[in-house]
Amino acid sequence: MAVDPAKTKVVRGVTLRADPAREDCFVVSQHETEMVSERDYNSPAAVRSIMHREYNNEVQNTEIAAQMLVDFPDAPWELRMELARQCWDETRHARMFLRRVIELGGRKGESPIKNGDWAIIGMIENLPGRLLVQHRLFEGGVMDSFKQVARGFREHGDSRTAEVYETILADEIQHVRFANQWLRRFSKEPRAVMQMAAALNYAHGVLRALSPKDGDRSLDDVDLAAEDHSIEINTEDRMHAGFTQAEIADLVRRDRHGLPAKRTGATA
Amino acid sequence: MGLSVRERGETVATLRWIHVRLMETIASWIPTTPEMEIKLAFGTHVWDLAQHADALGKRTYELRMPLQHSLPPSDAYQAYLAGIAAITDSAERVAAFYDAVLPALARRYADYLSRTDQLLDAPTVRIFKHIAAEQARMIGEGDDLRRELANLPAAPRALADGLKQQEQAIADFVVHRDEKTEAGAA
Repeated sequence: MAVDPAKTKVVRGVTLRADPAREDCFVVSQHETEMVSERDYNSPAAVRSIMHREYNNEVQNTEIAAQMLVDFPDAPWELRMELARQCWDETRHARMFLRRVIELGGRKGESPIKNGDWAIIGMIENLPGRLLVQHRLFEGGVMDSFKQVARGFREHGDSRTAEVYETILADEIQHVRFANQWLRRFSKEPRAVMQMAAALNYAHGVLRALSPKDGDRSLDDVDLAAEDHSIEINTEDRMHAGFTQAEIADLVRRDRHGLPAKRTGATA
Repeated sequence: MGLSVRERGETVATLRWIHVRLMETIASWIPTTPEMEIKLAFGTHVWDLAQHADALGKRTYELRMPLQHSLPPSDAYQAYLAGIAAITDSAERVAAFYDAVLPALARRYADYLSRTDQLLDAPTVRIFKHIAAEQARMIGEGDDLRRELANLPAAPRALADGLKQQEQAIADFVVHRDEKTEAGAA
């Protein structure tokens, strides 16, 4: 299965999967410089923008899980059931974030969106690679960031938004957990191991190529290269999700050395 | 006289094939449909269809077939489903799935329930009644979706009507296998 060149796009010299369909009300960005990046919990506009970005991220997650059902019809039925369940979970997450956007006085399409995860995952042509990058790497990173973001909202008195993040975090644990269970099975097959290694290498290469460079600024004039994206590893939930103590120790060590071990949902 | 064990198994396995195919069809529509609300409805119903396929697949094992066994339906029924999968317009996708496909399945379930022995085939009866109730809910959610999307242009009535006629023209969607051929193939 090779990605049809007609279904790709090029962003800063990197070939990625072309965007999924979106309504005309949305401005679809291709890079963080075309997004709103302010993260001030006290600014209603910034919070709405974060919620709106998360809304699209959850729709993307629905699309990614759905596309895996389409692209891998011969996957084990038990795994397909997990992906189908994930489709439903992600739709509920999207609705939760949109509801919060509207409660805060916003509307669908009010700020730019970006389909970064879809663009990367859609270029990975095998199931072990997609599970590794989407579920273990990206959604694993979401477990870290959502815990931190939920705490941030709670500390700023916004328990309603915090509750949304905490609810979604619980669902994400299961998504990462089922992926970890299947990845352990796949890791017994040399071909699958090679596929996973290639996918991880590809994803890290893309993230590096698209990471903000000196001078890159967001639409709201945030200096993107200077932003601090450090996030504490969510050890407890990673253990719930099937990471071993040794794997978590590796993540903490890589984090200290500034390697791209994870990404946050907020920057997807 | 009711249905034989073999006929029950073939029907259940065929319906499993159909539900898996429908799950894949609406999954394929999610990234290619622009309207977020429609994507989210399809995403919800992917999970419903998977659960229905799973329940049917557990029942095949109880009917002397492998666990999660699927049998392809007749060529005419496969062509009907392929035509639906090829629809690209959002409103037409919604109409095809909620106004044509799901109501047609409800008729198939009702037809089966009228022909099978309710005691001899009680586990299948329970599963079919449960799925039929679930799919009635899904049809209702399809109506809710269109109320939410007041600006979605109505799909031509002829589309759903045409699909209904095409489906109803297929007398038996189950391909009854010769027992010896099946054993040889296995």
